Amino acid sequence: MIRQVATILLLAAILGLGFNFVLPNRIAYIGKYRTISSGSDPIVPPNAALGDPPFIAVDVAQLEFISGGAVFIDCREPAEFECGTILGSINIPFDYLPDEDLGKYFDSILCGVPKDCPIITYCSGEECDLSLHLARNLQAFGYTKVLIFFGGSREWEKSGLPIERKRVCGE
Amino acid sequence: MRRVIDNDLLTLIVRVGVGATFIYASLYKIVDPGAFAKSIWYYHLVPGDLINLMALILPWVELLCGLALILGVFYNGAVVLANAMTVIFIFALSATIVKGIDIDCGCFKAAKGATGSAWKSLSFDLVLIVFTLQLLFSRSRRWMLS
Repeated sequence: MIRQVATILLLAAILGLGFNFVLPNRIAYIGKYRTISSGSDPIVPPNAALGDPPFIAVDVAQLEFISGGAVFIDCREPAEFECGTILGSINIPFDYLPDEDLGKYFDSILCGVPKDCPIITYCSGEECDLSLHLARNLQAFGYTKVLIFFGGSREWEKSGLPIERKRVCGE
Repeated sequence: MRRVIDNDLLTLIVRVGVGATFIYASLYKIVDPGAFAKSIWYYHLVPGDLINLMALILPWVELLCGLALILGVFYNGAVVLANAMTVIFIFALSATIVKGIDIDCGCFKAAKGATGSAWKSLSFDLVLIVFTLQLLFSRSRRWMLS
């Protein structure tokens, strides 16, 4: 029985590691992950791919915030945006992006924002990858300095940085 | 009770049902290991260095177990692994629910769905373990390739 278990596990390991080698959407064998509470590197989600906009840590997001040169975009739904967001952010809910004329839609919302202005996308935190998806879209439509703050509003708030609440929300 | 557990036809039906479930569950993970790695990541139970390896290997363990159960090859090993995996899934899902990992999720709909789906998956696994335990205790070895 132990031999059978070992055989199945060994076969699975060979097939799994081998099949990943030929998969077009293959992943690194050893992933790079960290949790919010450790280290100062930016949080990078496992579904990040080569060519994605860079991920930034909370200290970099804070610097951009203080310098005032960047546009912060909260990618969550309006209801969540209203419950607590990075002060001065604008809301572009990824789930409600129009199917057509996305470039025009971005330009109309980011009216007057130069294409090379730093844009920081974020959502609640590491469980949510709307920031990654919106950042990819913005990059595809010509915004050249898109940054992803994957720690999101939760890490921002934990770090004692200013949050804006439009209404009081329950847990 | 013993006679029911050892019933050849019941064991065959459970074997095929559990096997098909494992095969079905493995397929989307095999073709999209990145998405599965992300799911594992959410649980916060696996060390970072092991997440991708687990995302690559575990679905194949499920697939091979499923096939072994249906065909009746490496049967004892497959039954033990099927039980072990179901116990691990139940443990992981319970931990997620207890920790309330989804509560703060930014994706409003996804978060609600995810919380709901954790309960749903847990209920499903609790039913599944009844069947995998039946296979563990059943002495029936009919209609097997080896």
